Amino acid sequence: MPDSIAPDALRRLVLPDRVHRSLYTDPAIFDLEMTRIFGRCWLFLAHESQIRAPGDFVRARLGREDVIVVRARDGRIRALVNRCTHRGAQVCQAERGNTAGFACPYHAWTFGLDGALNSVPHRQSLPPDFDLKDPRLALAAVPRVESYRGFVFGSLAPGGESLVEHLGPIAAVIDNVVDRAPDGEIEQAGGVARQEYRGNWKLHHENANDTLHPGFVHESSVSAARGDPRDYAAPAYDGHQTHTQMLSNGFGVREWQSLSLTGFPAGHSYMGGFYRGGVLSPDRDDPVWREYRARLVARHGEEKTARVLGEDRFNNLLYPNVSINAQYQQIRVVTPLAVDRTRVTAFCFRLKGAPEALFHRAVRFLTNLSSPASMILSDDIEIFERVQGGLANSEPEWLDQSRGLGADRTEAGGRTVSAGLSELPHRAQYAAWLRYMTAAA
Amino acid sequence: MNAAVEIDVKSEAEAFLIAEARLLDAGRFDEWLALFAEDGFYWVPAAPGQSDPLNHLSILYEDKSVLGMRVRRLGHPRVYSAQPAPRTAHLVGNVTAAPGAEPGVDCEVRSTVMMAEYRPGQAADRRLWAGQQTHKLRRTPEGWRIVLKRVDLIDCDAVHGILAVPI
Ligand code: FES
Ligand SMILES: [Fe+2]
Repeated sequence: MPDSIAPDALRRLVLPDRVHRSLYTDPAIFDLEMTRIFGRCWLFLAHESQIRAPGDFVRARLGREDVIVVRARDGRIRALVNRCTHRGAQVCQAERGNTAGFACPYHAWTFGLDGALNSVPHRQSLPPDFDLKDPRLALAAVPRVESYRGFVFGSLAPGGESLVEHLGPIAAVIDNVVDRAPDGEIEQAGGVARQEYRGNWKLHHENANDTLHPGFVHESSVSAARGDPRDYAAPAYDGHQTHTQMLSNGFGVREWQSLSLTGFPAGHSYMGGFYRGGVLSPDRDDPVWREYRARLVARHGEEKTARVLGEDRFNNLLYPNVSINAQYQQIRVVTPLAVDRTRVTAFCFRLKGAPEALFHRAVRFLTNLSSPASMILSDDIEIFERVQGGLANSEPEWLDQSRGLGADRTEAGGRTVSAGLSELPHRAQYAAWLRYMTAAA
Repeated sequence: MNAAVEIDVKSEAEAFLIAEARLLDAGRFDEWLALFAEDGFYWVPAAPGQSDPLNHLSILYEDKSVLGMRVRRLGHPRVYSAQPAPRTAHLVGNVTAAPGAEPGVDCEVRSTVMMAEYRPGQAADRRLWAGQQTHKLRRTPEGWRIVLKRVDLIDCDAVHGILAVPI
């Protein structure tokens, strides 16, 4: 294990106003990230609605590990490493499904939903002391798995802070998405979008709360939407949502600046919402929304409903691997594959008890933002790849992140807050990065 | 329909698909868009056999007006994901034509499509997109118009990079 980079050497790479290019290009740093960040932090694995019944499973990636998140007969959720304890074959190929157990295709060792080795063929050829109950023969289990209101996280560290401690105030976004369901429950539905880009994983997180780039990177979408003056009152198959999503990146500098940015010591961050038009607006008022709102009032009462629906935070990053937008029921999981390769997995939720048409909007949002043909994310991804290409140069060595430096306000609990055009989220992410990377085992 | 008429429709449909493919390969997206009926849709599902574009995400599901924004965007000088412009070569084959089975559709054409794509620049990708496609066509005084173009890619649910141009 490359625990070889001295803490002082790492500290020299991260300054408040700049970070070193090796954070994006050095495979040794990537290896250490996999050990100290992705090998220790709480990472989002799955949503409980994906594994409701005993035997339900869904594959996930936990740092470098290929894991099966599975519900056992006793209802307990485990994350098992997808590697037979005999000769190492994967015991599961499906992305998702229901099973009675895991049978290895190679020599038919079979494992239970709890990972225990249940049977081996030709028992008589094994040594007499071969013990099926030997824990080393069970599928390796991720040491800690915890749920927060249906969101399942895992940590490869046997000890350390609890999930709730790690999430801290950013857990409010999970509360918010669940509280938006009139029946108090959400479920993953509508498919899963997966994309890969040739760039470092951190580029995704920096970009998600970077309010200066949309006017430039998304200019072509904004301009195409502006050239399409439409009557929002006329019926449209997508409720004009695609137009709104493209148009909204066209905020002026003053509008972006008027949003607030918030960062947390654990690396989490979020920005104020910026979708203002039609069916995406916080103050939307259409028949579907009125019906939905009425159902929510029936559950929460007027006051709490106003509070729940009034929450308008965008791209809530739960450091280090997941980003949630409660108001559009979206979630995006970021999986580092190599120092210069990253996978983005996105899906949406159905709010149980809400009108079906509201779910259609979430599906539309997902298609617009996370499909390979997205007219928005595709330009972000292109830029990530150009950044990665640029950083392959050895000079200059530094990336600047000084925008708004000096204007960050630190509030209770170490949360930092700033006006919208700041690079505060970058600074919060890198302060946390450095802490994780230099923490003793 | 007698056999001679059927052959006629089939070759007419084939010629339509070839002309469409040439417009795409030439990057003449405005003219390609004009092939769609005003109520036309372009659909590239994200799941094999997907039956529902509202309850399941798609790679693309666009009416003519959203498709119009996509086409206008491709003409913008700073559409980064399509710069330099991808070069494509479409091949359309295995064409069959049948009378339309729903109101407003005169002919339903099935075919196999392959699109080789080269994205110059950073990625220098060479990719092959392939699948079955269905064109639901309406006969108008101006010629055939597309009521629905649906492309079922063999890898519609796979991990993809950017798809910047229509297939
Ligand atoms: S490798 Fe799994 S049974 Fe042999
Ligand atoms: Fe962006």
